[in-house]
Amino acid sequence: MATKLVQWLTGLSLFFSVWASIVFDLVPVSFDQRIYQVVLPLPIYLVIAFGCYALAVVGYRTATFNDCVEAAEELKEEIMQAKADLKKKGLKMS
Amino acid sequence: MATGSDRILGLCIVATAGLLFAYYTIWVIFLPFVDADHVIHNLFLPRVYAITIPIVAGVIALGCLGVFVGLLAAGKKKQN
Repeated sequence: MATKLVQWLTGLSLFFSVWASIVFDLVPVSFDQRIYQVVLPLPIYLVIAFGCYALAVVGYRTATFNDCVEAAEELKEEIMQAKADLKKKGLKMS
Repeated sequence: MATGSDRILGLCIVATAGLLFAYYTIWVIFLPFVDADHVIHNLFLPRVYAITIPIVAGVIALGCLGVFVGLLAAGKKKQN
């Protein structure tokens, strides 16, 4: 299992080699002029798509933001335990 | 718990992202396959802008970020 970095680098280099081979005419295959027009801004398109996805996730998490009641109770309990433990060991609390 | 205004704000952000994505997808991916004299072309800027606007905006954003981080670093150095 490769690390995430290696996965991303592999995917990106694969994408960019295919993209460059089409845009810079490195392969002896000719496409329709309209295909070139779509392929040329593809990296920017991917960046914008990722940005839209990130924005949508932020908005969705804002809309469905939740209180963590159980976690708050648990945290309070742990604070009490820690305070009691520290007091037992001779720490003075204000 | 998310209040009503939080929910509205969140949904507005999601809608903005969706609209932006749909508009840009139509502009970049589908428009080359539509006839050049079709009315839909009136709704979009010339095709060069589909590339130049994101690049210029990205350069400006990264520049602002760099200046901001640089100012923070300079301020920190002065304090020490």
